[in-house]
Amino acid sequence: MVKYTLKRLFYMVLTLFIIATITFFLMKLLPGSPLTNQEKLSPDQQEIILDKYGLNDPVPVQYVNYMTNLVQGDLGLSFQYDNRSVTQMIGERIGPSAELGFQAIVFGTIVGILLGIVSALKHNTIIDYAATTIAVLGISIPSFVFAGLLQYFVGVQWQLLPVASWEGFEYTIMPTLALSVFVIATVARYMRSELLEILSSDYITLARAKGVSAPSIMIKHALRNALIPIITLLGPLAVNIMTGSLVIERIFAIPGIGEQFVRSINTNDFTVIMGTTLFYSVLFVVVIFIVDILYGVIDPRIRVSGGGRK
Amino acid sequence: MSQMDPKLFEIQGSRTAETEQMGRPSLSFWHDAWLRLRSNKGAIFGLVLIAIIMLMAIIGPSMSNYTYKEQNIKHAKLPPKIAALEDIHWLPFDGRDKDGFDVYKSKEVDQYYWFGTDDLGRDLWTRAWYGTRISIFIGVMAALIDLLIGIAYGGISGYYGGRIDNVMQRIIEILVGIPQLIVVILFILVFEQGIFSIIMAMVITGWVSMARIVRGQFLKLKNQEYVLASRTLGASGGRLIWKHLMPNVIGPIIVTTMFTIPSAIFTEAFLSFIGLGIAPPEASLGSLVNDGFKSMQMYPHMLIIPSVIISLLILSFNLLADGLRDALDPQMKK
Repeated sequence: MVKYTLKRLFYMVLTLFIIATITFFLMKLLPGSPLTNQEKLSPDQQEIILDKYGLNDPVPVQYVNYMTNLVQGDLGLSFQYDNRSVTQMIGERIGPSAELGFQAIVFGTIVGILLGIVSALKHNTIIDYAATTIAVLGISIPSFVFAGLLQYFVGVQWQLLPVASWEGFEYTIMPTLALSVFVIATVARYMRSELLEILSSDYITLARAKGVSAPSIMIKHALRNALIPIITLLGPLAVNIMTGSLVIERIFAIPGIGEQFVRSINTNDFTVIMGTTLFYSVLFVVVIFIVDILYGVIDPRIRVSGGGRK
Repeated sequence: MSQMDPKLFEIQGSRTAETEQMGRPSLSFWHDAWLRLRSNKGAIFGLVLIAIIMLMAIIGPSMSNYTYKEQNIKHAKLPPKIAALEDIHWLPFDGRDKDGFDVYKSKEVDQYYWFGTDDLGRDLWTRAWYGTRISIFIGVMAALIDLLIGIAYGGISGYYGGRIDNVMQRIIEILVGIPQLIVVILFILVFEQGIFSIIMAMVITGWVSMARIVRGQFLKLKNQEYVLASRTLGASGGRLIWKHLMPNVIGPIIVTTMFTIPSAIFTEAFLSFIGLGIAPPEASLGSLVNDGFKSMQMYPHMLIIPSVIISLLILSFNLLADGLRDALDPQMKK
């Protein structure tokens, strides 16, 4: 297990290093500098600004500086907002994004599990078909389309919930729903097929033959085994929520990281783009790492084979 | 009863003709798959829907008298109006806005805009189907390029194994760790916006899953007896790969490709949505949805029409892919 963890850790660090390097050099290729929006500066002033961002150094020096700062958690200064550090900008906006992401994943997982259980129990009935249909729709409809329809009908037409902004719990309901649709659908599909497989296995038949009551079989025997592998879904789901948050935060005008990222893309604020990219990558890679290790701890078969599931 | 009298028994013969007879007509792999696919209602629904949407993407833009980029400011923001449906008021095609006000009459417009117009007076019917065309093109192209690279990479890695496989797998392991979204966004920022960049950006990370599947199948198949037999008879590596291994991997490859198309369509829409996709006057379903958001409150048709088309498109591809997975390779069914 230690060997496996170390191997995964090594890959994690290597991946992050490569991402940071690629990001740095891609950004160097981009046309544009902090001067782009300030053409009327004298050469001296331009020099001062370039010095401030360290853009006068040769590229290898910039690279080393950048990497050194990165390790210390310093992502540099924003090109568009004077003297604001990217680390600080991300820090200020992490709250709403984290709250939304957390709500979406918790709500989505719970609803998904329930939906999956219901459709497995009522296998091949109308209820099962309805739940399966919801799941397929949830996977197919892009989150921003769902958000748009939600915003139009619930917010504008029926005026049940505030259309946008970020002022309290009721403002989080629609964005959370929009973000969690995919989670619900994925978890429900997974839960259904997993439960169907388990419910037809020998040890369930044995339990039934022994006269264990149906709810007890479900809770003590079937659910326990079906719930564990859901951990492996967390990686892809976290990525999906991150991706979704970019558009959802923009649609609902939520002051989160995603909204800032989209804005930095549209205003060519390269340091912010770079910083957020790295932030997302770290988050993603760390989530995958934790999921892999957790799964190894829970499921001994992984430890022996030394690889991820499937 | 000590011994049975042999006279009690009668020789029946082997009846070779009867036992060797085919019970039912033999089915080719494709025929069998088609039979299984046909019994899957969802998949057939998806197939029909894809056919309809593709047909509309091809002929739709030329059905109206407008081009996708032709602007007519006087006719801006008109709601949908269709000649045959204009008197049915509960359908949204009567040319009235959401307050029931007949905009066509007040603006003195005689033409019919089937899906209405956008805020620059461009015909949305034409733009919607033109955008569908672009979206499908991007999805299919990305999937096809993924397919080619994935088969080549996965095939070489899986067939030769050993050190080559080891090195190639380490590369894949690192690539898998990089979030696709990040690469795609960075790539498009660096290169010029447009269809080509979008496709390339998606391919850069997209081929990995195809390569993994092909490699896994090759590893499994290459040690089977029939391959060994062919090798013993002196077949070359290329012949083994193309004639013996590839036909057996075709099922998973088709299924993966079918799942790649809707996810590529989604990624393109997503990129257009955050301002990195197709730039106007070009259109894609994603950019149309994005435009629709700006006028959502007053002119919901601009949002709803492209939203419905893109959802149906992704839905039908997913349904068909699900069906194909069950039909082509029952083992892959989760």
